[in-house]
Amino acid sequence: MRLPTLEGLPRGFFGAAYLSLLFASSHAFGTETQDVATAPERNAYRSTYTPKPDVDTLIVNATVLDGNGSRLNGVDVSLSDGKIVAIGPDLVVEEGVRMIDATGRWVTPGLIDVHSHNGTFSLPLTEDSIQDISEVSAPVVANTWIEHAVNVQDPAFYLALAGGVTTLQILPGSAPLIGGRSVVVKPIKANTVFDMKFPGAPYGLKMACGENPKGNFGSKGMAPTSRQGEIAMLRETWSQAQAYLHNSRNKGGDEAEIKSRDFKMETLAGVLSGEIRVHLHCYRASDIAVMFAVANEFDYKIAAVHHAVEAYKVPELFKENDACAAVWSDWWGFKMEARDAIRENAAFVDAAGACVLMHSDSPSVGQRLNLEAAKAMAAGRKAGLKISPERAIVWITRHPARTLGLEDRIGQVAVGYNADVVIWSGDPFSIYSKADQVFVDGALHFDRRNKQQRSYSDIALRSGNAGGSHE
Amino acid sequence: MSRLQFRTLFFGFLLAMTQIPAFAETVAIVGVTAHTNTQKGTLYDATVLIDGERILAVGTDVEIPEDARLIEATGSIVTPGFMNSASHLGLTEVSSVDSTSDYSVEGGPLGAAFDVQYALNANSELVALARSDGLARAVSIPERAAVAPFAGLGALLHLRSGPSILQQPRIGLFVEIGGQTSDESGGSRSAQWVILRRALDEAGRLRRNSRSIPSRDSYFSRYDLETLQEVSDGEMPLIIGADRESDIHQAIRLKQEYGIRIVLRGGAEAWLVADELAAASIPVVIDPSFNLPQYFDQLNVRDDSAAILQKAGVLISFKVSSIHTSYDSGFTLREVAGIAVSNGLDYSAALKALTINAAETWQISDHYGTLQAGKDADVVIWDGDPLEPSTLPVAIFVNGTQISQQTRQTRLRDRYHPNRN
Repeated sequence: MRLPTLEGLPRGFFGAAYLSLLFASSHAFGTETQDVATAPERNAYRSTYTPKPDVDTLIVNATVLDGNGSRLNGVDVSLSDGKIVAIGPDLVVEEGVRMIDATGRWVTPGLIDVHSHNGTFSLPLTEDSIQDISEVSAPVVANTWIEHAVNVQDPAFYLALAGGVTTLQILPGSAPLIGGRSVVVKPIKANTVFDMKFPGAPYGLKMACGENPKGNFGSKGMAPTSRQGEIAMLRETWSQAQAYLHNSRNKGGDEAEIKSRDFKMETLAGVLSGEIRVHLHCYRASDIAVMFAVANEFDYKIAAVHHAVEAYKVPELFKENDACAAVWSDWWGFKMEARDAIRENAAFVDAAGACVLMHSDSPSVGQRLNLEAAKAMAAGRKAGLKISPERAIVWITRHPARTLGLEDRIGQVAVGYNADVVIWSGDPFSIYSKADQVFVDGALHFDRRNKQQRSYSDIALRSGNAGGSHE
Repeated sequence: MSRLQFRTLFFGFLLAMTQIPAFAETVAIVGVTAHTNTQKGTLYDATVLIDGERILAVGTDVEIPEDARLIEATGSIVTPGFMNSASHLGLTEVSSVDSTSDYSVEGGPLGAAFDVQYALNANSELVALARSDGLARAVSIPERAAVAPFAGLGALLHLRSGPSILQQPRIGLFVEIGGQTSDESGGSRSAQWVILRRALDEAGRLRRNSRSIPSRDSYFSRYDLETLQEVSDGEMPLIIGADRESDIHQAIRLKQEYGIRIVLRGGAEAWLVADELAAASIPVVIDPSFNLPQYFDQLNVRDDSAAILQKAGVLISFKVSSIHTSYDSGFTLREVAGIAVSNGLDYSAALKALTINAAETWQISDHYGTLQAGKDADVVIWDGDPLEPSTLPVAIFVNGTQISQQTRQTRLRDRYHPNRN
């Protein structure tokens, strides 16, 4: 991830391994559904999240950007039992319901960040905390699960919530070619990752192309050392996974023999069977095309190409492959494959009719996804494209929900959707606006008006005489 | 929408650009809201008159010469071009490509004497982009030298078009203090302070007897000590990069004991020491959007540091962090200023932090930082509030010359535009 200074990072400290981690971000997610990939884990690693008990809420007289392309002026939004149950003018206030006057304020779906390393690159950064973003002993570590490494006390979770984020996907880094399973969480106060884990969210698989894998492993005298070596290794790996899937589907009935499980192959087979969604770190148009070709050869789908700074050169590839481009507004230049980034990337991909969304890859961007969309929208307008706020909000709500396979549950202010809702102090694309209240499954998890509210991270606790008490 | 703004929309924008004279001229910008950063404050329906390389007049009753090029920018906002107080502009192109990066040395003979001025590349695409985003000035800083905790000498840039962006070399001596770099001085931040103090002591002795040479067992070379003399003589400031409260107290103590000029860079915990910093007249260069305890030295960082420091009377100016130290160092600078305002910093104080405060920090306020007669004509016309990301610069004058807003990235934009023919 790239939270800390890419170039300005503490050189003598983290060194090359650190940089390789930084450069290596890409991602994946996951599902908890069927046999091949996940059935045994469903119980062992299941979500223990339970919605926080709270009263029902009626948000009154808001300007709503619904996440599905519409803007509704002066409407009420009713949250009950964790769901959005009504949207419209002049809804009736029931007794016992928390009423919030949102006059002059804006309401959006909770924001969704599909590319976070929170909890696995935990702040404050230490020799310990930077190691957990990726297992870098081999280029294919599909057997790793990022949820086994999450430090829930990372203060970045709270900052994301305070920035209106209600769902985020934690991805392994991009040093490995195949970096393991992602996990989708809610950035709430919790003592374990399982208490944050989004119930029933599909898993993802992080993959990477280009500079990072070959740079990381090539520098250790390991394969791959080149782009062609990366692809060769990927094809061999997917061929093995195809065989594994075929054999596992055709094995006989009674098995007297007990065999150990192959966790790499279970995850890869999960991708081939469509249960696990591929999140690919890839920058350059030509690399993106090659990675789509590999996916087509082995008949799996790529849900999203992350950091796709050259997506604007090949938007048709995203349409043909039914994939989304996950992009930054203005990160560019720090390595060769990022050099051709333009601020109009999201707007151009959107204008071509392909799916685009904003992502963070960093806790600083991850608390200001609304500004990412604002900057991308402004660049598009400067280039003469018409982009409305009701359109741009889709890039940080419905589209990321789609890449996670959660588009039926989150990403919209619509009846029946999870009550993940943000009340903004004003136009969410203004630099001066803040998330005032953030609801997760209908429960109020962040309220800026509450002066007592502080970061819920245990990191934020201080002794009586330390700096934090100077106020 | 102002007429000027309308004209700059995309293809019209290209056409307009071809008509810009690439030299200083007489220009009258009329009908604008001018944030002067002077006692005049904000002027409405004002005229900003540029003559050659200088601002000739700013006001609501300015007489417009007949030969002036008239820019009717009714309703637009005019500010001085902004200044980034800690960037790598001109010193890098692709930071992961070593051959393009010149802001640090890890070997060779140079400690304090490492001087970035000779590496500056006016043709860098990063410079062109920063300029097109309304940045007129920057301090480009060294990141590391071969003798820690010294990083070397920074340079003051004036982002004029043409081959020379260097305005003033040796703008200050930079040092890095704290847990992220202490291993370079043996493993303790205390060693960093000891080395820094010893170096200043030796430089002082060298001054008192200018014919002496460093003693044979000196840790420092003559090059480094001669550089340090300029600091101990007050000819240039020592810029201390530090975040932890304890280190900031040490910086204040150093100033008191040695009587040298000090600027604090970073300062995640500076808000805890705001009154002391104000009393000691130590300016602070901060990224006001930085609110993460990224390292232990920054555990007590908070959202509203800039507002607290400013209210305490500390002279604050801005930088940006992470990759934006180099990339988008103009665009992101105004974004972080807006974030500072959203966290309680007074709006006019934010504009001053982007301009006149930086000028005072780097001692160039005699010619830069305000919209005022006699000042260098670094002037930007914005189509709205410059702190909003949706706002664009519609015309940028640096040293009186309207600069092209075409960059390598706008050329990529035009090549791949969805509506291209």
